[in-house]
Amino acid sequence: MTSETYDTDPRPSRMSNRFRALWTQENVITIIVSAIVAIAVVLPLITLVVSSFLVLDDLGFSTEWSFGNYVTIVTDPIIPKAFLNTLIICSGCTVLATFLGVSLAWTNARTNCPGRTWLEPFNLIPFFLSPFIGAIAWHNMGEPKTGLLNNFFRDIFGIEGHVINIDNIWGVIWVTGIFFAPLVYLFVVGSLRRMDPSLEDSARTTGAGLFRTTMTVTLPLVMPGILSGAIIVFVTSAGEFGVPFKLSAPYGWETLTTQIFTKAVGDDANHYLGATMAMALGAITVFLIWIQRRYIAPRSFETVTGKGFRPNVLDLGSWKWVAFGYNILFILVAVILPIISLLIVSLHPVWQGTIMLDKITGINYVKTLFFWREESIDAATNGIFNSLFLAFVGASISMVLALVVSYMIHRTKGFGSWLLDFLCVVPIGFPGIVLAMGVLVTYIQTPIYATLWILLLGYITRFFPYGQRNIASILLSISEELDQSSRMAGATWVTTMRRITIPLLKPGIFAGWILLFVIFVRELSISIMLYTDGTETLAVGVYYLTNYENEPLTAALSLAQTLLCLICMIAFRRLAGKEALSA
Amino acid sequence: MSSNNNIDATVRISGLDKHFGPETAVLDFNILIEQGEFVTLLGPSGCGKTTTLRCVAGLERPDGGDIFIGDQLVASYEQDVYLNPEDRNIGMVFQSYAVWPHMTVFDNVAYGLRVRRAGKSEIKKRTMRALELVGLDHLADRYATKLSGGQRQRVALARAIVYEPRVILFDEPLSNLDAKLREQMRDEIVRLQKEVGITSIFVTHDQSEALVMSDRVVVMDKAVIQQVGDPQDIYANPANAFVANFIGVTSLLKGRVIGHSNSIYDIELPSIIGGEPLRLRATGETGIGEESEVHVSLRPEDVTLNTDKPSDAENLNLLEGKVIDTVYLGSFLECRVDVKGHEINIQIDHFENLSRDQTVFLTFRAEHALCLAN
Ligand SMILES: Nc1ncnc2c1ncn2[C@@H]1O[C@H](COP(=O)(O)OP(=O)(O)OP(=O)(O)O)[C@@H](O)[C@H]1O
Ligand SMILES: [Mg+2]
Repeated sequence: MTSETYDTDPRPSRMSNRFRALWTQENVITIIVSAIVAIAVVLPLITLVVSSFLVLDDLGFSTEWSFGNYVTIVTDPIIPKAFLNTLIICSGCTVLATFLGVSLAWTNARTNCPGRTWLEPFNLIPFFLSPFIGAIAWHNMGEPKTGLLNNFFRDIFGIEGHVINIDNIWGVIWVTGIFFAPLVYLFVVGSLRRMDPSLEDSARTTGAGLFRTTMTVTLPLVMPGILSGAIIVFVTSAGEFGVPFKLSAPYGWETLTTQIFTKAVGDDANHYLGATMAMALGAITVFLIWIQRRYIAPRSFETVTGKGFRPNVLDLGSWKWVAFGYNILFILVAVILPIISLLIVSLHPVWQGTIMLDKITGINYVKTLFFWREESIDAATNGIFNSLFLAFVGASISMVLALVVSYMIHRTKGFGSWLLDFLCVVPIGFPGIVLAMGVLVTYIQTPIYATLWILLLGYITRFFPYGQRNIASILLSISEELDQSSRMAGATWVTTMRRITIPLLKPGIFAGWILLFVIFVRELSISIMLYTDGTETLAVGVYYLTNYENEPLTAALSLAQTLLCLICMIAFRRLAGKEALSA
Repeated sequence: MSSNNNIDATVRISGLDKHFGPETAVLDFNILIEQGEFVTLLGPSGCGKTTTLRCVAGLERPDGGDIFIGDQLVASYEQDVYLNPEDRNIGMVFQSYAVWPHMTVFDNVAYGLRVRRAGKSEIKKRTMRALELVGLDHLADRYATKLSGGQRQRVALARAIVYEPRVILFDEPLSNLDAKLREQMRDEIVRLQKEVGITSIFVTHDQSEALVMSDRVVVMDKAVIQQVGDPQDIYANPANAFVANFIGVTSLLKGRVIGHSNSIYDIELPSIIGGEPLRLRATGETGIGEESEVHVSLRPEDVTLNTDKPSDAENLNLLEGKVIDTVYLGSFLECRVDVKGHEINIQIDHFENLSRDQTVFLTFRAEHALCLAN
């Protein structure tokens, strides 16, 4: 280009400059990552929608386009009932979990309940464990004939018959309720703890008593958090497969998830009908998540002033011992009793409802964990290997993806970042089983079907947003000027990431990694849809044992999984600190 | 809003103690606050003002002493009496406003009346009147989150007076406001207090606030009352060096009594840079012994600065010093002078050209130099 043309017509030069400006390292990476995420997230959902309009003929060979599947889910003898059951379970679970979560968070954060600092980690344990395992444990305790608790009551109080029966829809509500209580807890505890105490003090000096102050000031102030938590619990329980599968489906209370499962595998599999049910479920959950993000989360009140406030809490008087007892009771039913019952059952060769000290054996652990021994059960030992592999690789890939995506959304803020933000929310709105249905119908004809890779794909697509949120919250708290100064000093974008941003985010990355590791180790509802012989996961192993073997074997593998989760939880708290998960 | 003249609204605090673990926040606090009086607790950060106030409010349990509101014993360590804050019929305004963000302005103010189960029409009438008093009646339906700092503080004020409590407590209500607004709110609170005639206890660490607003000031330091008195009294006759230094600007000179007649003391100031000690005469309470160590307090406005040695200074104290620096403060000039190692602040309103290290002569009357026993 001569200086003459430059002078007379600068336009082409400016155009190419602009083009070159777009062609930067960060934009290239954004586009690539966006494309990957978009394909991973959007493709299964599109296939799901398309499949729902394909109706399988009676012979199960050919399909035609129609709304037939949607008619079927309304007219079928079972599906509408499953719908209703799901609704009852979700409502009950939401009420129970919200009550438990809010009351526990309140006693730990705002009152002088004894031991409230060391109680908190115990209150959160169910968050890291599998509700499916919880259902198995509670089945061992609350089964009418052989349940440990029922036997205990019979022995001690001489009661005829049974005191509790966990094998019904109420049992599902009970187990999901106590296991999802920490979700609500985490949504409210942060704002309760940071709340300016003079908001409550001024209600007291204005003449309101302790109860009235709590009801009219404290709780309304955290109401957006409570509602958010409640919606998340509703959505999570709607997608919960393991608990109704164990506790209610065998006794006549099908739910949407157990119905979707039967349409995905087994003799009367009908992927198109399954996709339609998944669509219906997904539509509800996505709508609720949208409400939460659009209307409820932004309404949270700014209750922190930061100026001259003291960490003071409500004096409950002698009621504090009631609060303490209540908290201990929660830990007992949610953590201690289930683990003890699993341990007891797992040590028996067969389980008949009574503890027999002379029969105690470790054979169940040999069969489920010792893969090198001949008598080991493949489904269980495969599950351990596969789950560790999936959790390790899945968490690693997810965190890389999460890191890049968070950076794109919160730092680059240009090109396509709004799209990425949207794509990161979508999977959160879809229950695992719905997404798995989509993945199944999308990839069933490809070579990755029936391999571990399809599981990996499902895991990452569904759960990488969790890691992304973990990183984003830290990224937002780190000043942008830190990496801008690096660029100013002459470093490229990649160098800046490597030398400045990633080291700053390291604790967050590790914490997110462990969180995903736990989620993957216990994952059931995606795995159950996508596994085949040889690609069982830990939770599928448990499913296999509870279905085809006996309770003691199931308990042994369940306990192994629980132990793994507990170890991860301790590591997570070490790395991420106490406040890490709270909203 | 009429004052409740028939209700006895004095506040009597005797021997109040409060500890937080090993730390003493308030020690042996005694005062009788008259009905309708406006009393300020003044002191540096951490001296226990808020703690005292919160003990009166019932937000903190005393570790010793009694608190009476009127003739009602609301807290007593010895007799194990403790009334909850909601049962004390008081109003309180907090530093952080503490206006509830989930309610409208009207609901915030009406809260105390609803708690007291007032009738619907009465709630409306009294709430609107309280809002009128603070000039916010036009914002009644607005959510508290959409208010400015000053407006929030007005809501907090209206909320605290609407149910006509016996006593109203203020914990640094103005410290989050900017300077202009602070002055305006200050005057408004005083006007309102006089209008309603309510007994008030006001906590601040801003001395000008305390001096302008109060009938009486309680100066505290390190958990202990240093002096109680009306503003003029405290300014003119500080009880000790801390009060003198804390209230207004003052120069404190360390010295020793070498002789006295009645309340006039002869004081020797050691020369810090060596050489002859300085002598001066100061006024003080009677009874300060010979040879005792004292502080001499000098207000900047009481010292005259001369560039030449004055000839008519027989009855005045005369000190010779060197100018350290001068600062323009708008309407006057503040000058620091070094007198043999002692630093003295002077306020001058006629502008002189003073240069650094220039020799100057300071004169002041013995009545203006306060001799304060340690
Ligand atoms: N809840 C508490 N726990 C422990 N120590 C406390 C508590 N509240 C106050 N203190 C201590 O008691 C002392 C007095 O505190 P207080 O808040 O009364 O001071 P203050 O005079 O109001 O100070 P400021 O002007 O900074 O508000 C301080 O040293 C403070 O650290
Ligand atoms: Mg204070």
